[in-house]
Amino acid sequence: MKTLIIAFCILFMGMTVAVPEAQAQHGDTEHHHKDTTRYLKEVTVIDETIVNKKIETEMKMAVSVDEFLASSDNISFIKRGAYAWEPLLNNMSSERSSLTIDGMHVFGACTDKMDPITSYVESNNLSSIDITSGQEGSMHGATVAGSIDLKRKSTPFGLEKKWGGAYQTGFEFNNNQFLNLGNLSYSGDKLVADGSISFRKAGNYQAGNNAEVNHSQYNKFNTSLGLAYKTSLLSSVRVDAIYDRASDVGFPALPMDLWLSRAIITSASYKRLFEEGMLRVWDTKVYYNAVEHYMDDTKRPENKVHMDMPGWSTTYGLVSRASILRGAYRAEIQLNAYDNLSIAEMTMYPQDRSKKTMFAYSWPWVTTRFAGLSMNNSWSISEMSTLNVGGSLGWNYNHSKYVDFNWIFHPGAPQEKNRILPGLHASYQLTIDQFNFSLGTGYGHRAPSVSEGYGYYIYNSFDRYDYVGNPNLKNEVSYEANASAGVKKEKMGIEARVNYFYIENYIIGRILSLGSPMNYQSVGVKGYTSLDHARLYNLSVNAYYDILHHLHWKGTVTYSRATDNRDGNLPFIRPMSYRTSLHYMYQRLGLQASLSGDMAQKKYSPEYGEDLTPAYTVVNVSADYRFDFKNFRTVLQVGAENLFNEYYSTYADWGNIPRMGRNVFTSLRFSF
Amino acid sequence: MQKIPLFLAAVCLVMASCTKEKTDYEAAIDAAVPVNYEFKEALSINSGVYKVSVAALNGTFYKGYNEIRLTITDSRNGQNVDATAATFLPIMANTDGSMVSCPHRYDLTYTPDGNYFAGYSVFTAESSAATIWNLYISFSVAGKVQTERVTLFVQEQTNKNLNMVAFTGKDDEQYVIALVGPQRPKVAENALIAGIYTFNKPTNAPSENFPDPSQFSYSEVSGYTLQLDPRMPEPSMGNHSSINNKDLTQQDDGLYHGVVNYTMTGNWTLNFIMLNQNGRVLKGTEVPTTFTPGVEGVKSELYINILF
Repeated sequence: MKTLIIAFCILFMGMTVAVPEAQAQHGDTEHHHKDTTRYLKEVTVIDETIVNKKIETEMKMAVSVDEFLASSDNISFIKRGAYAWEPLLNNMSSERSSLTIDGMHVFGACTDKMDPITSYVESNNLSSIDITSGQEGSMHGATVAGSIDLKRKSTPFGLEKKWGGAYQTGFEFNNNQFLNLGNLSYSGDKLVADGSISFRKAGNYQAGNNAEVNHSQYNKFNTSLGLAYKTSLLSSVRVDAIYDRASDVGFPALPMDLWLSRAIITSASYKRLFEEGMLRVWDTKVYYNAVEHYMDDTKRPENKVHMDMPGWSTTYGLVSRASILRGAYRAEIQLNAYDNLSIAEMTMYPQDRSKKTMFAYSWPWVTTRFAGLSMNNSWSISEMSTLNVGGSLGWNYNHSKYVDFNWIFHPGAPQEKNRILPGLHASYQLTIDQFNFSLGTGYGHRAPSVSEGYGYYIYNSFDRYDYVGNPNLKNEVSYEANASAGVKKEKMGIEARVNYFYIENYIIGRILSLGSPMNYQSVGVKGYTSLDHARLYNLSVNAYYDILHHLHWKGTVTYSRATDNRDGNLPFIRPMSYRTSLHYMYQRLGLQASLSGDMAQKKYSPEYGEDLTPAYTVVNVSADYRFDFKNFRTVLQVGAENLFNEYYSTYADWGNIPRMGRNVFTSLRFSF
Repeated sequence: MQKIPLFLAAVCLVMASCTKEKTDYEAAIDAAVPVNYEFKEALSINSGVYKVSVAALNGTFYKGYNEIRLTITDSRNGQNVDATAATFLPIMANTDGSMVSCPHRYDLTYTPDGNYFAGYSVFTAESSAATIWNLYISFSVAGKVQTERVTLFVQEQTNKNLNMVAFTGKDDEQYVIALVGPQRPKVAENALIAGIYTFNKPTNAPSENFPDPSQFSYSEVSGYTLQLDPRMPEPSMGNHSSINNKDLTQQDDGLYHGVVNYTMTGNWTLNFIMLNQNGRVLKGTEVPTTFTPGVEGVKSELYINILF
């Protein structure tokens, strides 16, 4: 511990001492313009390089946030239905990654992870999604797997085009999904406004054998509004709000559905830019979000017992970020602080309704407080090489109001728990001609999640066990190494990436021989325990080749392997997978075809309810045509996913529910 | 543009009010479980110049375990009287003329702190037209013994956490097990307290004077073990059990103490197996550990139901 503190002192001191003297070069081009208004505008654009990037994949422009994330190499999903997929980063479950919206922590209110925070946003209020692997993702708080930060749309001040907007409508034939997405932005010299609204309504989908998958419908409404006001030439304030409402969402893999979930995600921020000095940007935000989630099991005839399982999660927080630039040295420092209260209840009804109901908390009013300072320093040592060194130091506090519940399994466990969560990472990038290499390492802790620490009889329908948390769990400690090598030529490129995690005290559920289940469908009780260690590695190879000027090929192969301390398989590890796609453009017409699939999952874990999942291959095609319709830029897209109507389910499909069969989709977008 | 803050305020207002109210868990338990912690006078008798007052929790005798406090005062000045001994004998008269007692402490113990005689009585039936409880009290003041008889009323115990069970063991002895605490359990680890009593079969013929205490004698059994297996018998709960429970063993207060973990509120069955000093099973059967959703849970042949 002592050595760690020393390491941190050195790290932070290094930041103040080791700043090179070469400040002058940067920004000179902008300084020549004496028009400071414009300067701000440009810096804003530079600062948010992703402003106009749309959330869409090559195949499909009307994607959901989940589908967009799925196009990333190191993201996979646990799917419990057609909605609200749980993103796995580096094959690790969502509590191991830091999931944020513009750096704001939002925690789902469902004990069964039916509401990952990606389900509370919509593709038309996001500009991009930042995925950072491993400890480099500790900017927003302690993590093991990395971070997923959903970036909200934010239009810069003083654009020449004051009004912008888009409307998109689409229909998907497989599940009769009808979607309508609209967004509008105003960019004035003093005031900026971004607004979006969306509706999605889908029925049950059909699997590959044309069998309807019952309880896979959903309804989602999402709206957002952001207002920014320029308080001076170099500063602005901004308020943002997202409201999301999902109702009547079926989860075919679970014994219950979602009746209603609502989230309000709000923030107010102050941003200041600096023309001179090391400090370039200072951005501070306070935020508040509240999530409520109500399950409904009355629509399942197989449920002889009715149970109410409402959940609430409320978070207040602060994010303050400073960007420092001095010559070849750049640093980001971020302060993160939040307070979250998670509550989940179970009320079980007896068969004879006149009798008393049975009640317990599955999250007994658990408070989590976190405060941490993160930083990342990067030096451009030469034109060829860059060194990144960073770290984070956080304090994590938990308090369980009804600790009596936790004492049943862990007598005498403390009601409050403080943890120190350090993290360190370093990486080196080298570019020699067409070749690029990188090497990195990291070390970090994470605290157990609310469920892992304080969960109480949380039913997991995958392995059909009730899970019980352990407040005494040790921090999970990750040691990580990563490397990449690539070559880029004019028409082609290939890159291989590999990362390896050695995780001490790996938290996972183990069967408790003495417990008796509480939930109707359950077969036993598992307690979250720490494995001595677990090892994970992920490998991916990407390549592209421009066959013709308008014909492009891309391909990816990934492989992962994860074992516990007894060399047993860990669950939800993706088998070898591949994706290859062709993209052809001819004038206003674009044609895409892709083929993707997983090999058979032979390294499965029966202990966690997994079985052998056979290999599958899916073919998707789409065509789009761009034209101008009056003053609107218009895109019309038609395509088909799972063209050959393959019946399949993947290694991460909860309860082996089959995926969607052939889905013909159409979409039309107008933008101005 | 002016309307936007208003819109935001409205959205916040909508969200501030949750769709479903959170359960007030503590209040729900309070409502389901009536508890009494205060001793009040349940009956009083005038015996010559003396007034005998019997206090019980809430001033009421309930079926099951009752702690009792007996005070003797001089009715002329209300002063406590130096009584040297007091006895307590409840006898239930049935319509068929039979007379039975119930577990009780016959020789009350004097508690100098509170200036009262302490004892208990485990009433095995509620008072009704067919079952009438009479209390026979005696006490001695200055070497003179006074006896009194009074009818008392035993009411239904509405707190199921103080239920009792009476049975005959495999040794042909009559036993009573009565829950003493906790009055108001929680979803937590609870200290479980019970009394185990046996009827001392009379060895001699009854004497002329009624009542003859030797015919109505009960005692606390000593050195027994009460093995505990708590279950939720509700079909929807599949005979759910809990962990880290401890069997009840006798402590210095004569009562049997153990630990029961209740994992949620609702109906629970405390399944028991009663062993004597030599480990012989006198009553009770093992409950299968299988989880049986959809059917009423199997019980031991010796059990007490509770509810909270």
